[in-house]
Amino acid sequence: MGCNHEAIELMHKYLDGDLTKTEEANLRLHLENCESCQQHFHELKRTITWIQSTERIEAPQDFTQKVMAKLPKERKRVSYKR
Amino acid sequence: MDLMIKEKIKQVKKGDQAAFADIVTFFQNKIYQHCYRMLGNAHEAEDIAQEAFIRAYINIDSYDEGRKFSTWLYRIATNLTIDRLRKRKPDYYLDADIKGTKGLDMYSLLQADNRLPEEEVENLELQSYIHQEISELPPKYRSIIMLRYLEEFSLKEISEILDIPLGTVKTRIHRGREALRKKLRHV
Repeated sequence: MGCNHEAIELMHKYLDGDLTKTEEANLRLHLENCESCQQHFHELKRTITWIQSTERIEAPQDFTQKVMAKLPKERKRVSYKR
Repeated sequence: MDLMIKEKIKQVKKGDQAAFADIVTFFQNKIYQHCYRMLGNAHEAEDIAQEAFIRAYINIDSYDEGRKFSTWLYRIATNLTIDRLRKRKPDYYLDADIKGTKGLDMYSLLQADNRLPEEEVENLELQSYIHQEISELPPKYRSIIMLRYLEEFSLKEISEILDIPLGTVKTRIHRGREALRKKLRHV
């Protein structure tokens, strides 16, 4: 499985947008001929899609108020101006 | 949006505290989510996320307006979560409520108006499983995976947030992706 290591490097470079044109062509050619690398590539892309599709977590309702209540006192200059 | 934030920051720098409330409101979900994912429990996440905003406020004069505010803010938040993780006792993880699917109350994380039809349950279980697998990655991989794929920073920005070389970011995101691929491949 000597091909795998190099091909997997290329897959990650692809995912980071770092592939040169030549590397991209090499990867494409390799994927056409290697089923296990195809599978690997598919799994990587699926993993990313899953990470991106996870539920967003929201801050508690009163979050901003709590932060504001804990800030040090406003500088006098501005409060005086109001 | 960027323009609005820039304007608010100018006001805060002049001493207008009220302008900071808008900044908090704008970033609260992102920062809270980041802390939650790093720490794995709601109580600590709230604590640390609040602290991040308070520090941002106190240190606002050291923020360089030529740079992206979100990068600066995430840097503060990430450093705080890493400090907190370091201070934990090793057995703390046993108590963290994200472990397993029972403790992590996914239902409570859903928005209030969210309905729960039958067909979404399966999806929910998968999501919960993915959450768990992400939460079990070592923090140095977890932070990068989240910053890249949930918060959509570029690798360059991530290297600024974490203050590590771009090459290290690439090595870690590579390893993080491989680790998750292995965990999730049989799903």
